[in-house]
Amino acid sequence: MMAPVIQRSMVWLFAFASLFLSSVAWAGPDPLVRLKGFSEFPSVNIQDLLKGEILSEPGALMDFKNGISAQTCYAVFVPAQQAARKLQLWNPSLHQDLKIFKFHPVNEPSAPMDFRDMSLKSNQRPIRWLLDKTRATTPTQSDLNLSKEEAEQLAACVKNHPDPQAVSACWAQLLQQRALAFEQQGFAGVAPYETGGETMSPVTQLRTMLREQPAVATEFAPMLRESGVLGQEGKLDPFHYWGMYEADHRAVLNLGAVYLLPVGNRYQLMDAQYYVSGVYYSFVTLYEVWPIQLGNQAASLIWRGDFFAAPVLQFTSGFERLAYGAVMVQELKKAIRAFQDDVKTKP
Amino acid sequence: MTRWCPQTPGAAFLLTLLALPFLLSNTNAASPLMATAQEFDADFDYVAGAPTHLRGANIGSVEEFNAAARYAVSPAITKRLLLRLGAEWQRSDLRVPDNVPLPKTLQQASAIVGLDCQLTDQWLLRTELDPGIYSDFKDVSWRDVNAPFLLTAACVVDADFQWFVGLRLNLYSQYPVWPVLGLRWKFADEWTLNLILPHPRLEYDVNERLKLYLGGRVQGGTYRVSDDFGTDHGDPRLNHELLDQYELRVGPGVSWRLLRNMTIDLDVGYMVYREFNFFDHHVVLRSNPAPYGQIAWHLRF
Repeated sequence: MMAPVIQRSMVWLFAFASLFLSSVAWAGPDPLVRLKGFSEFPSVNIQDLLKGEILSEPGALMDFKNGISAQTCYAVFVPAQQAARKLQLWNPSLHQDLKIFKFHPVNEPSAPMDFRDMSLKSNQRPIRWLLDKTRATTPTQSDLNLSKEEAEQLAACVKNHPDPQAVSACWAQLLQQRALAFEQQGFAGVAPYETGGETMSPVTQLRTMLREQPAVATEFAPMLRESGVLGQEGKLDPFHYWGMYEADHRAVLNLGAVYLLPVGNRYQLMDAQYYVSGVYYSFVTLYEVWPIQLGNQAASLIWRGDFFAAPVLQFTSGFERLAYGAVMVQELKKAIRAFQDDVKTKP
Repeated sequence: MTRWCPQTPGAAFLLTLLALPFLLSNTNAASPLMATAQEFDADFDYVAGAPTHLRGANIGSVEEFNAAARYAVSPAITKRLLLRLGAEWQRSDLRVPDNVPLPKTLQQASAIVGLDCQLTDQWLLRTELDPGIYSDFKDVSWRDVNAPFLLTAACVVDADFQWFVGLRLNLYSQYPVWPVLGLRWKFADEWTLNLILPHPRLEYDVNERLKLYLGGRVQGGTYRVSDDFGTDHGDPRLNHELLDQYELRVGPGVSWRLLRNMTIDLDVGYMVYREFNFFDHHVVLRSNPAPYGQIAWHLRF
C-alpha cells in the first residue's frame, strides 16, 4: 500500500523540482558559462545557491609570496542593480561578529569632519595595541605602515600629545591627507610604506596579485581600466570609506574605495583598501553581479574574489598556508552571510 | 619475537596517495614558481637523574640527554595538495647504572613521506609515513626498520577555533593504534589554548615577539635493541626485543620570535612520568619525576 503513495509523492516532488528548475532564468549570456570561463568554479548549481549555500574555492597559487586569494559565489534575492548598489555602500560594522570597530563614509573632497569618530580611547587590547605602536613610532622606525613623511609627522604629533584622544586626532589628520591624495590622484597618489625596513607599495601589491590571475584580470578588464588601478587615469567615482577593523587580534585603520561599473546586463565592483595602518599590506575584493530571475522574483548571482597581502604570509607556506586559506574562506563566509542577512532584512 | 614490517599504514598511505589526485582533480596545477615550504626544527634537552624502578626495586638513577633535528619540504602539486618529504633524526643518550636493562642509546633516523591536502573549505588532512631505523644502533638490520604512520584531520571553524582528530599507527608498539584529539582555541586576545600533541600548551602573548606558555610534552617511541642486549644485561629474553618508551613532561616556557621565520623555545619543568617497557616480557622500568630543560629552534623558509 505504501508504494503508490511514495510513487505519487515522488512524481509531485519531481514535478515541483522541474518547475523550480525551469523557473530560473537570466537575461543575456548565461552567467554560469561566464563563471566557468574565469573563476575557480567549474560547475555551479544555482539551486543550491538560491537555498543559501555559499560556494568557496581557494584562489590559484601565487608566485607573490605575500599574497593569498579566495573565491566565493552566492546568491541574494534582490535585483542585480540593487545588489550591486548594496555591495558598494554596505556598512559591515553593524555585525558584531565581523569585529569591525568603525566604518564611515568619506566625502569627496574629504574633510576633517569625516574622521571625527576616530577614537583610540579603549580598553580593548587590539585598540591598545594600535595606540602603543603609534606611540612607539619614531621618524625612522615603526611597526606600522607609514611613509617617511608620515612617520615623522606621527612621531612629532604623538610626542607632544600622547593621550589616546590626541593620538586619535593625529591619525585622523594622517588618514584625511591620504584620502585627499587618493581622491585627487587616484592610485597614483598612494604613498608607499617605508618604515618596515623596505619600501612596500600597496598599489604595486594589488596589481601584482591581480596580474597573477590572468583569467580574473581579463574578466575584470573593464573595471581595472576604468578604476585606474592598473595605472591609467580613473574614470569612476567610487564610494570612499575609512574603517577600524580587527585583524589577527590587532586594530587596523584603513582607507578604501568601492567602485561600481555596469557592464552590459551585469555589474562589476572593486573594493580596494588602498591604505592599511598595519598587520597586513593590502586587500582588494572584486565582485561580479548577474541578474537571475526566479519565477516572478528577481535575484542576483554574485561572484566574489578576495586578494590579500600580508607580511606574515611570506613565511607561511605548506600546511600552514592551506590552513590560512581555510581560515580566510571561513571569515569571508561570515561576511557574506552578514550581507545576505542585511539584504533579507533591509531590502 | 620478530614482527613483520607494518603493512596496514603503508597500504592506507598508498591508497590515500592514489586517491587524492582524483579527489582533487578539479584543482589547477601548481605554478612552477610557487613557493615551496621548507621547515627545519632542532631541539636539545636534558632530564636530570631520576630514580628508576624495576619490579618495585630502585635500580638507580637514569639521566637523559636528547637531541633531534627534522627537515621537511612541501612542494605544491595543486593548490589543494602538497607533497611532504623530509628526514628526521632523534637520539636519546641514557646514563644508566651497569646491568640495568636499558640501552645507552636510542635512535631514530627516518624519512618523512606525506601529503597535506585541503579536502573541503573547512577540512584539512595530513598523512605522514616515517619509514626508518628505530634502534639502539648496535647491530642495525632490517628488523630495526619501522614505519609509523600519522593521519590527522583538522577542522577550521574560524580564525580562533580549530579542532583536530587523528590516528597514529605504530604496529611495533604495545599500543599500535593511538587516537589523537586536539584543539586550538584563541579564547582571548592574548590567550590561546593549544592542545595539540606532542606539545599541548596554554599560551600568553606578551607581544608579537614573545610568548609565555605553560605546557606539556608527550614523547615516545618504539625501538629494537641489539641481538645480544639481553645476554649482556643478564636477561637473554631481551635479545633483539622491542622497547616502548613513553615520557610526559610539564613546565613553563618562553617562545621568542627572533625573526619572522625563526623562533626559539626555552622551557624547564618536570618530567612527571617515564616508562621503558619491554612489553613482550613485562619488563617495565618507571622513573620518578625529575627536572628537565629544553631548547628548541624552529625555522621556516
